[in-house]
Amino acid sequence: MMQPMNSAKEKLRLLADSARERVRELKESPLPVIYVGCATCGRAAGALATIAGFEKALQENGLEAQIRQVGCLGHCYAEPLVIIQNPGFPPLLYQKIGAGEAGILVRSFLKDGSDPCYEYLIGALEADENFPTLMDYPRYLYENRVVMEHCGLIDPEEIDSYLAVGGYAALAQGLEKGGAWVLEEVKAANLRGRGGAGFPAGKKWEIAREVEKTPKLLICNGDEGDPGAYMDRTLLESNPHQVLEGLALAALAVGAERGLLYIRAEYPLAVTIMERAIVAAEEKNLLGADILGSGFSLEVSVFQGSGAFVCGEETALIQSLAGNRGMPQPRPPYPAVEGLNGLPTVINNVKTLSTVPSIIRRGWQWFRAIGTEDSPGTAIFSVVGEVEYPGLVEVPMGVTLEHLVLDVCGGIKDGKEFKAVQIGGPSGGCLPAALADTVIDFDSLKKVGAMMGSGGLVVMNEDTCMVEVARYFTDFTQGESCGKCTFCRIGTRHLRELLHSITLGEGSLDDLADLEELSQAIIKGSLCSLGKTAPNPVLTTLRFFRDEYLAHIEEKRCPAKMCRTLIAFYIDLEACARGCDACVACCPTDAIFTTSNRKKAIDQLKCVKCGECVYVCPPEYDAVRRVSPPEMIPDQGVEPLTEKEESQA
Amino acid sequence: MSDNLVTITVDEQKITAPAGAFLLPVCLENDIYIPHLCFLEGMDDPPASCRLCLVEIAGESGPVASCRYRVREGLEVKTNSDEILRLRQLAFRLLVSTNDGSCRTCIANHSCDLQKIAKYLHQPLKTKRLRHIDRDYPALIDNHPFLVYEPKKCVLCGRCVYVCGQLEKGYKLDFAQRGMDSIVSLFGSELDPASLECETCLACAGVCPVGAMSSKKKWRSFIAELGLN
Amino acid sequence: MLDQLLAALNATERAAVDEEEYNILQAIVEELPAFPAEVSQLLPILQSIQKKHGYLPRLALNMVASHVRTTIAKVYGIATFYNQFRFNPPGRNPIKVCLGTACHVKGGEILLENFERRLEIKEGETSADREYSLERVACIGCCALAPAVVVGEKVEAYVTPSKVEGIITEIEVRKEMAAREQVKNDAANE
Repeated sequence: MMQPMNSAKEKLRLLADSARERVRELKESPLPVIYVGCATCGRAAGALATIAGFEKALQENGLEAQIRQVGCLGHCYAEPLVIIQNPGFPPLLYQKIGAGEAGILVRSFLKDGSDPCYEYLIGALEADENFPTLMDYPRYLYENRVVMEHCGLIDPEEIDSYLAVGGYAALAQGLEKGGAWVLEEVKAANLRGRGGAGFPAGKKWEIAREVEKTPKLLICNGDEGDPGAYMDRTLLESNPHQVLEGLALAALAVGAERGLLYIRAEYPLAVTIMERAIVAAEEKNLLGADILGSGFSLEVSVFQGSGAFVCGEETALIQSLAGNRGMPQPRPPYPAVEGLNGLPTVINNVKTLSTVPSIIRRGWQWFRAIGTEDSPGTAIFSVVGEVEYPGLVEVPMGVTLEHLVLDVCGGIKDGKEFKAVQIGGPSGGCLPAALADTVIDFDSLKKVGAMMGSGGLVVMNEDTCMVEVARYFTDFTQGESCGKCTFCRIGTRHLRELLHSITLGEGSLDDLADLEELSQAIIKGSLCSLGKTAPNPVLTTLRFFRDEYLAHIEEKRCPAKMCRTLIAFYIDLEACARGCDACVACCPTDAIFTTSNRKKAIDQLKCVKCGECVYVCPPEYDAVRRVSPPEMIPDQGVEPLTEKEESQA
Repeated sequence: MSDNLVTITVDEQKITAPAGAFLLPVCLENDIYIPHLCFLEGMDDPPASCRLCLVEIAGESGPVASCRYRVREGLEVKTNSDEILRLRQLAFRLLVSTNDGSCRTCIANHSCDLQKIAKYLHQPLKTKRLRHIDRDYPALIDNHPFLVYEPKKCVLCGRCVYVCGQLEKGYKLDFAQRGMDSIVSLFGSELDPASLECETCLACAGVCPVGAMSSKKKWRSFIAELGLN
Repeated sequence: MLDQLLAALNATERAAVDEEEYNILQAIVEELPAFPAEVSQLLPILQSIQKKHGYLPRLALNMVASHVRTTIAKVYGIATFYNQFRFNPPGRNPIKVCLGTACHVKGGEILLENFERRLEIKEGETSADREYSLERVACIGCCALAPAVVVGEKVEAYVTPSKVEGIITEIEVRKEMAAREQVKNDAANE
């Protein structure tokens, strides 16, 4: 007999209890459990081969174990990541486990039970006297995981594993107290949109809530197009139900009956996982009609974007949903008032929605205590480039860039110098190391000409040319310009042409003035935010790295030795070893020849300056030199080995 | 649009206009010229894409497109500040930097809006400072039975797409590609000419401000007159 | 529907439709009715066609247009706006070089050039034997593993210019092995 139930909370409690029971069974399983990080990045690093390796080794050794695919912990430098829960041991996290290492782990740790393979170990997930714990590492110590709390630890394909950690409790609470209460909580929390601009989510919801027209639509914007940012993908792939719970709470606050997940087509795994998560949530009555008997209904579906960066812009996104070209529309009207098919449409970023459940569960006061007064909460960055520990990092707002790069991410790789960070992607800016004490929050970054953007952060050392970086981003935005308004369509193209000619050493000082004039005009005159922010990489590099522009223009020299027209490679005959052929074998254009004294030299006419010979030259010789400008190659009196000599040799 | 009349100030001149009307046509009716390419009288939802009609409005944080800004009581508008002038000049220079600039052999010579705007903004029709950007399109697309389209002259204002879309039956024109590669596509013109109503319509050619879209018949006789064909 | 469409074309266009394309078009005729005939379905329909058949044949646009009752110009406008869609068949081994920020800084451009040199095709092209196609992609979100290249469905991490040769060789070897396997099987079956 079914117990009569009267509240959403009670219904959820029953669901959560049975979920906890199932998860406990797994946790207390007498069999070892192997969790393998299988988000896109883990798979790229070979996680599926790792799983095959485990399966094979288990079979060969006649052992049984459960293998579970989990999402991403954000520690991309250590992929493939594996957590092994072996009875009698705390759960242990291992790094860089390929098929071979999987075999070793099975034989040494699971079979013999004696050797937990310290050589691959990062640490224990729980405090333990025999093992270092994750908290002993700066990367874990300094992070404050709110949104990413469960990423990589729970099974994204298993709704029970989310329910068991308190998932959907916030939704049940929201359903009991009503949409108006949810709205007030989020407003009081001052949750600002994590998509880049930082517009208060509560305010947006309130605008849409007050519009009378129905049905209203809530869209989760997962069209993460910023090259260099992938936290939205990680959240969708690693904790899909958190996104859905946030979406449902937002819909409740707004009074929306339909929810839509707009996901980039380039993220096929995220699409599959979200589609399955929706079905699972509907089966448990956590989505769909009359959720948990509350009378509130929400139909959720997935829509795949088709690869246009501009569709991250709200009005363009709506156009693409309507089956149109994704061209931004002038505002007003704002989408929250008049969006898809003229109906109120609220669009929130994946990170924004993923933050909502914890705010509801723990209260706005808790949220306000994290971060700064005007930017409460945490920020997720994908820190990539020349740092020791690249990956996804969640830190409280208000920490400095320096702390993020040097402390949390382990500093610059290979003992090189910290030169700059590019923050906020194509709409953001390049900040020099001298400004590394800049505080990370929405407003401070804007002040120095950068932007929070979607949270991409590329760390650069002295080998990165800032003119080339500006050219790269401008090339990207001009290629992604929808072509509607004059300033963005043609203006960004001129920016690109100017920057391109500077990287070729063909620039003039007039070009710098033109870059500035054009940039200012594009900011003022463009129709949408893509255009209005496109010149940021140009303006910040001009401001902070003007000397590099001048070196390219006046000396035809690329100080970072990156711009290929302005550099050349040669082999230092003093350092080159007789008989070593490493560079010859790797050269894609056969540009390296043997000299009369059986060393190597580069035919400058054939060389495409790919730099591969620098990497393959054995470190004990380290004979390949890179110079800029190309005329810097010293005359070493190189003579090629004659054919006759060659045949004798 | 309501019948309420409001008073606004444009460059120190007081103007009365119906509340809620778009600012650009109000100014034009009162002999205050503001350059524009993409706007057409009667549009409900102007695209605001050419960015030539930018003006300054007291209280707004930046320049706004006057073509879709609605007038209200007490509005204070500046159409000729130095900054606005600079922005318009630059927008104009950008537009002509992608054009082939062959006025003498163009069907729209002397009736071209770009020529008119050039005169107003004191700008040459070929920019010196900005380099010319050659768009990767043929100079002439003439596979349509009744229209010729010269992509290198097109300023992508979208008037032709708009008027074609307004027609009940027609609607054969649309934008294609993206960014600098954007083009007006005559896709569908490979169909049977009899199924097209274009022959008697030609509204698109009528609204083209620069002579990029023309009636095939007129264009042929123009070329014959030039003695070029 | 298909034959009607073909009949409406002029002779050169009709001749350009080979057997392979004809079969794809025929399949699309059968797939289309599953989709609601609404303009808002344009992207999902085009995505589904491309997913199944690898590209959007020219005439498929006409078919989609008449299915959702809109103009071909509109469908063409949409298909050419978004990066996702391609209008020629991809190679059996599609290679996508990531040129996101991290990959770019680590030499993604050089990788692309190496592939172009090695395969003797340019970015956006398919080799004559349809074995390879080469594309650039904006970011596949594997930034910490840069530079990355997607070969078929598989992401290759930390690719260096000299690895390009290895990637191609691996494909060739696998192809060779499959061919031998085929011969062996054929012999066994006889």
